[in-house]
Amino acid sequence: MTFHLGYGTNGFANHRLDDALRVIADLGYTSVALTLDHHHLDPYGDDVVSATDHVAVLLGRLGLRCVVETGARYLLDPTHKHHPTLVCDEPERRIDFLHRAVRIAAELDADCVSFWSGIRPSSVDPGTAWRRMRDGTAAVLDEAGALGVRLGLEPEPGMFVERLADALRLREELGAPDLLGITLDVGHCVAVEPEDAAACIRRAAGLLVNVQLDDMRTGVHEHLEFGEGELDLPATLAALTEVGYSGVAAVELPRHSHAAPDVATRAIAALRAALEPGPHDVEWVSDVDHPWLVDAEQRVRSDPAAIRTLFPAVGRKVGRAALRPESDPQGLVHGTVDDLARTRLLAVLAEVLDAPALAGEVAELYRYGDDAERRGVLRGLTTLPPDAVPAGLEIVRDALRANDIRLVAAAMGEFGARNLDDHAWRHGVLKCLFVGVPLAAVVELSRRTDGELLRMVADYADERRAAGRDVPADAERLLEVGA
Amino acid sequence: MRIFDPHIHMTSRTTDDYEAMFDAGVRALVEPSFWLGQPRTSVASFTDYFDSLIGWERFRAAQFGIRHHCTIALNPKEANDPRCREVLDLLPRYLAKDGVVAVGEVGYDSMTPEEDEVFAGQLQLAVEHELPALVHTPHRDKLAGTHRTLDVVRESGLEPGRVLVDHLNEPTVAVVADSGCWMGFSIYPDTKMDEQRMVAILREYGTDRMIVNSAADWGRSDPLKTYKTGLAMLGAGFTESDVDKVLWRNPVEFYGQSDRLVLDELPGFAPSTETFAGNSVLRGGGA
Repeated sequence: MTFHLGYGTNGFANHRLDDALRVIADLGYTSVALTLDHHHLDPYGDDVVSATDHVAVLLGRLGLRCVVETGARYLLDPTHKHHPTLVCDEPERRIDFLHRAVRIAAELDADCVSFWSGIRPSSVDPGTAWRRMRDGTAAVLDEAGALGVRLGLEPEPGMFVERLADALRLREELGAPDLLGITLDVGHCVAVEPEDAAACIRRAAGLLVNVQLDDMRTGVHEHLEFGEGELDLPATLAALTEVGYSGVAAVELPRHSHAAPDVATRAIAALRAALEPGPHDVEWVSDVDHPWLVDAEQRVRSDPAAIRTLFPAVGRKVGRAALRPESDPQGLVHGTVDDLARTRLLAVLAEVLDAPALAGEVAELYRYGDDAERRGVLRGLTTLPPDAVPAGLEIVRDALRANDIRLVAAAMGEFGARNLDDHAWRHGVLKCLFVGVPLAAVVELSRRTDGELLRMVADYADERRAAGRDVPADAERLLEVGA
Repeated sequence: MRIFDPHIHMTSRTTDDYEAMFDAGVRALVEPSFWLGQPRTSVASFTDYFDSLIGWERFRAAQFGIRHHCTIALNPKEANDPRCREVLDLLPRYLAKDGVVAVGEVGYDSMTPEEDEVFAGQLQLAVEHELPALVHTPHRDKLAGTHRTLDVVRESGLEPGRVLVDHLNEPTVAVVADSGCWMGFSIYPDTKMDEQRMVAILREYGTDRMIVNSAADWGRSDPLKTYKTGLAMLGAGFTESDVDKVLWRNPVEFYGQSDRLVLDELPGFAPSTETFAGNSVLRGGGA
C-alpha cells in the first residue's frame, strides 16, 4: 500500500474535533479528511489562527496526515444547505470561504483543499454555470498559487460538475494548472460513473490528490458502509496501489456520526481485509481456465517430470498478454497470463513432490528456463514449503543480478518481500528505480521501507540531480511518503 | 519496406545496429546459434549462450521494437570437439522453448565422420520436435559439401520444405533449387554474396523459396544488407511485392512452420527515446 488510510471528521460530527482526531488515530488510521465546520475549526471564528495552530500540533502528535474538506452543510447559510455555491448568482461568499480554507490548509500542511461545484439552480443556464465554475475555480487557484496549496475538485452526484469527465474537462479548459487536482469519491463512481471505481482511478491516476472511500449502489447517492453496496473494494484499493497513489484515502460516511467509533472500527477492518493479498489474486488465477492448462495440471499431477516440457509451452498454449494492459502493458506489476498459468503448474508440483525434490525441480526449471519461464518460477516461489525457501532465495538472487526488468520485477514479489534479508531487499528496490521497474511491483514496499532504504534513495536522487537528470517519480514519492 | 532478417547474430552487435535496423524496417529476426569466433571448451559455455539467446537477447531486441527468435543446435565446427558434443543431451530442453523456431545451424564444416553423426542426429531432433532445420553449407569444398548435405537431408525423412540450406552462391543454388529445400543467401560486404549478384540469381531462379539474410556477426558484415538487397531489387525492376516476398513473406512462411513465430508489434513500443526512459539497455546496461 502506497497511500494513507484515513477517516473523515464529517463522520464524527457529534464529537469534539480533538476527540474525533484521537479516536481516529487510536483505531490505526494514519490520515484524516478534516471538514471545516462551525464546531470543527470554524474558519470564521475569532480564534481561527490559534485554533489552527492547535490542530496542526495535534495532527503532528497523532501522526495524522490531512486534507481539508469544504462540504459543511450550514456553515455559510443557516437556512440553505451547501449554499452559496460557485455556480449560484452570488458565489463570492463561497470563494471567500475557499480562500480561508486554503490559508488553513497551508498552516496545517494539508495535502489539498477539496471542493465541489454545487447544484446548478434551475434559473441558471448550463453555459452560465460553466463560466461561473471556471471563473470561481480560477479565483480560488489564485490564492492557492500564492500559498502553494493544491486543490482537489470533486465530482459530486447531483451537482453541476457531476462526473470525473466533467472535472477533467474543466481542468483542461483552465490550462491544466499543476495545483488543480482531482478528489475522487469511489462510492460516487458506483453511483454515477460509466466505469467502475478502479477504472476511474486509473483514468485520474496522476491527478488524484484526495480519495474518499465508501460503498454505494448504482444510481443511488447514499454513502454506505463497506459491503452494503456494490463497490469492489479490493480491486479499488489495488488500483490505487497500481497507479502509485500516495495521498490520503479517507472513509467518507457523513451520516453515520451517531455511531462513529463503531462504524470507523468496522471500516478499518474491512479495509485491512481488502488489502490482504490472496483472495483477489486467486480470483485472477482461476481466470485462466484454459482447457490446455487444466489438462496440463492433471499431467503434472500424475507425472511430475511432465512439467519440464509443459512449462516452456505455456505461452504458446494459453497466451502471453499482460493481465492489466491498460495500466501495466508489460505485466511488470501484475504479471501476465502465462505467469499465472505457470504459477498454477508450480502449485500442483508443490502438492505432489516432497520439499527436496520440489526444490531441485524448481531450480532446474529456472536454470533451463527462458525469460518467461524464469518469470513464472519467480512468481510461483510462494508455493514452496519452508524447507525449500533457501533454494528459492538462490533463484531470487540470480534474478536480481539480471538486467531484464521483468525478472527484476518478479523477483521483488511476495516471496522476495517475505524472505530477502534487509540488505538484499533494499538493493532490489534501488535496482527497480535504476532499471525502470515501477515500485508498484515491489510487494510490501511500505512495510519494509526503512531509514536505510530512504537514505539510499535520497543519495540516488542527489546523484541524479547532480548530473542534471530527472529523479524518477517513484523515488520522489517514496521519499515523500517515508519522510 | 518490412524486413525479417532470417539469419543474424545480434549477440555480436551493438544497440546502434538495432536502432539502424529498426529505422530500415527490420521488425523481426532469427538468431541462429553458432560458433563464438574462438573455440568453446565446455558444455556450460553453450548453455549460457543458449540462455542468452532465449532470454537477454530477446529482451534487448524488444527494447528496440524488434521481435527476436533463435535456432538452437551444436554447430558443425564444434561437433568435432568431444568437450562440446555432450551439449547434445541438453538440446531437447532448449528445443522446447518459445521463440526457438528451428534446429540450427547444423551441417558440415570439414565433413568429418563426427560431423556426419551429429548432423544426422540433429535432423532427427528436428523431426521429433516438429521444427524446421537451418543448414549451413561449408566454406571450403562448398559444392561437394552441398551435395552431401542434401543426401543427409533426404535420408533424414525431414520434408525438403522444412529445410533451409544457407550461404548459397552461384555454383550451389541449382542443386538446392532442384531438391525442394529453401535457398538462403548471406549478403556480405565482399565475400559470400553481394546485392547485385543476388539480384541476378533472383532474375534467373525467381523469388519462390528464396531467402536473403545479412548473417551479420563479429566479422566484417553489415546488418543492413537485407535492406540494401531490397533497394537493389527495386532498382533492377522488381516490384515492392517481390521485395516483400523475399524479405518478409518467405522467411515468415519458412520459420512459421515452427508455430512459434511471434510477429505482433511489441506492446507499448514507439520509436522515441521517451519510451525508453530509465531503461538499462539504452543507458548502457549499467544497473
